[in-house]
Amino acid sequence: MSFIPGQPVTAVVQRIEIRKLQHGEHLILGFSIGGGIDQDPGQNPFSEDKSDKGIYVTRVTPGGPAEVAGLMMGDKVMQVNGWDMTMVTHDQARKRLTKKDEDIVRLLVTRKSLEQAVRHSMM
Amino acid sequence: MMQGVSHKLAMFCRTQTTRATIARGSSLEMEIRRGKFRRSVFLNTLQDSDIQKKIDHEIRMRDGACKLLAACSQRDQALEAAKSLLTCNTRIMAYMSELQRMKEAQVMQRVARRSDGTRSSDAGPMDDRLPCKGKVAISDLRIPLMWKDTEYFKNKGELHRCAVFCLLQVGGEIHDTDMVMVDRTLTDICFDNTIVFSEASPGFELRVELYSCCSEEDYSAGSAPRKLASKLSSSLGRSAGKKLRVAMDPGACSPTSNGGAVTLLLPGHAVAGPKYHLLAHTSLSLSHVQDSFRTHDLSISGNEDCSYWVPLYGSVCCRLAAQPHCMTQQMMSGCLKVKQLGGDPQSWTNVYGVLKGTNLFCYHRQEDMEANVEPAFTIAINKETRIRASEKDPHSKAQSICISNQYGGEEVTHTLSADSHEETHRWMEAFWQQFYDMSQWKQCCDDLMKIELPSPRKPALVTSKQGSLYHEIVIDTSDDISTVTDILTRRMQELELRSQLGTSPPWMSLFEESPGGPRTPRLARHSPRSPHRLPHSPLSPLRCPWPGLLSSDASLTSDSDSPCSTSPCSRHRGWAEPLSSPRFRPRTLSLDAKLSTLRGRGYGGVLQCSCQPPSSSSLGPIPAQCVPQATLSCSSSTSSNSSSEGSHSPSSLDGTPFSRPSSARRSLRNVRAKLDPRNWLQSQV
Repeated sequence: MSFIPGQPVTAVVQRIEIRKLQHGEHLILGFSIGGGIDQDPGQNPFSEDKSDKGIYVTRVTPGGPAEVAGLMMGDKVMQVNGWDMTMVTHDQARKRLTKKDEDIVRLLVTRKSLEQAVRHSMM
Repeated sequence: MMQGVSHKLAMFCRTQTTRATIARGSSLEMEIRRGKFRRSVFLNTLQDSDIQKKIDHEIRMRDGACKLLAACSQRDQALEAAKSLLTCNTRIMAYMSELQRMKEAQVMQRVARRSDGTRSSDAGPMDDRLPCKGKVAISDLRIPLMWKDTEYFKNKGELHRCAVFCLLQVGGEIHDTDMVMVDRTLTDICFDNTIVFSEASPGFELRVELYSCCSEEDYSAGSAPRKLASKLSSSLGRSAGKKLRVAMDPGACSPTSNGGAVTLLLPGHAVAGPKYHLLAHTSLSLSHVQDSFRTHDLSISGNEDCSYWVPLYGSVCCRLAAQPHCMTQQMMSGCLKVKQLGGDPQSWTNVYGVLKGTNLFCYHRQEDMEANVEPAFTIAINKETRIRASEKDPHSKAQSICISNQYGGEEVTHTLSADSHEETHRWMEAFWQQFYDMSQWKQCCDDLMKIELPSPRKPALVTSKQGSLYHEIVIDTSDDISTVTDILTRRMQELELRSQLGTSPPWMSLFEESPGGPRTPRLARHSPRSPHRLPHSPLSPLRCPWPGLLSSDASLTSDSDSPCSTSPCSRHRGWAEPLSSPRFRPRTLSLDAKLSTLRGRGYGGVLQCSCQPPSSSSLGPIPAQCVPQATLSCSSSTSSNSSSEGSHSPSSLDGTPFSRPSSARRSLRNVRAKLDPRNWLQSQV
């Protein structure tokens, strides 16, 4: 999942569609994110490459919409509703996920196991 | 007044080991002996005692600098002390030579007076006009450097640093600039000082000397130069004496003289320490004066092999301005009658005239001038003006003065008449003096040049690189938490006064109450054991958690619903926000109390170490490890990231899993979270 600056990023991704849940007066997705280009990537426990400043899923609320949709802890979020998440600040990422007028977010996430799965299936 | 004389003699007495020692039989001594003989005949004039006082003052300064040099251990201090030493020595030389010259002039006068009949003397009052003095200011000195491109761009080799400063001299006035450290990352040496010489004649010579000293050699070592220096100082031969006499002449440019020679002459012992060497010099005079920046050439002494070498481009840029007194002061004032030519022969106007600069200001009354009212009219007195005395009015007793100016092709003549012959003569004298001054000061009299008076020196602000207390206080990981408290208490006591002015250091906000929060001693409930507790000063919610020690404020109080004060702490600006009100100043700083409440809150998952009361010593790890762990969110549902320990164990949710922080808290949290780069943020969506 590491990238070479200047080269396009390629990854095996999984499409995850999460429907927001109404909780009180907020719409929530049920997971937490960490990371961003304004954050210290060395403190990311999920990233393989400690210079990766992408957005990672740090926690998934059990029973929440994200878990139901198949999001897992440690996933790296590549896109949200078509918006890129590999080169955003933490706050930008949060905003893109919490738009009030969107009921559904469609994420493209990647994780190590996906790559392995694909590799295995090709053998 | 012989005391002054004998005091001077003591200066050259061998028994005074700290004073100058001059060898017997040297030419210098002969000079002084002869001077001694002559001096006994003199009366001590006021000027002499002035200079004597100055010399004494400089000698005291020099002694102080020597002592400082011997005592200091840091390189910067030594360089500064050596610079003051050099300045003092130069000043002493200048004063002594001026004294010598004055003595000689007095002797000449006396001799001339004695032999009055046989030769023409100049003992009478000087007929020659003397031009007025003026202020000369030099500012914005900039000396461009010329590094080899391999050195400058590729940054090869070790960084060779030199300390440089400039010595500026006009007659007997010597000033030095601040010291600047030069290394190859610098393209120009800039001296920000503005130096003003207040009494300079138009024929002044401003000597600019650049001294430099290598900043790397170990000056404390090296006994060989010291031995040599002591040998030289104890015996000055004839040739050395002659050289020194030449060196004493301020006008002489002696490229071989360096700081070393100067220190040898006067003190009895050589001074160990960094020595400055003359690197370049130049002389500026009236022709270089201009109201803008100009470039002048430098004569460079020394070459690449010298330790004190700095590659100079060869020129110096500066702004040299002069304000002659005739431009800034009133040269003449008095009552006049003015009549414009071509007007009514009887239309004399009574005015109060003031001659200043290139104008004769005519006020209706003297009080107008003092009240700064605009003058009735102004007559220009400049290089183009023609003035002549005339017997204009056969009826009046006094002569009148005609002033003619060309105003755009038209010639306008004013006629002035004073009350008496003497007045008229004085006015004429003033006008002639003004013309003379203008001819001497030349371009300085076209327009008044601005000279900025140097403001009183502000002490150099030494700010740490990032300006936060975090960088100022070093806390060893083995330190007790109580040590930290002690440090903080001490600092707070030091800064007691400052906080009274409303500018207590920003980290005080750590212990400040939130302005809007309730004042109940919440912490007391949680730490009954705390010995430092004062009932009326709750050390409650921390607004700006010090990353080293504490988590967010919400976690520290039991039932804090409004813990977060609304003003964000400007952590990223290095804690620059002053506190507004001294009444929030707490009496004690009890971090241990906070930490125990932290523990009480069940944040064990967050802080890997347990919080003990101050007596225990196991609180060491907190400062170092808490750094990346600080939780910023007020929301209880957000976990912290204790990644520094390698284990990522998000704390279990205490509250409701889907609780969303209120907007106020969220905005504060966002701001704080954004501002602290040490934390790896997590947001719940």
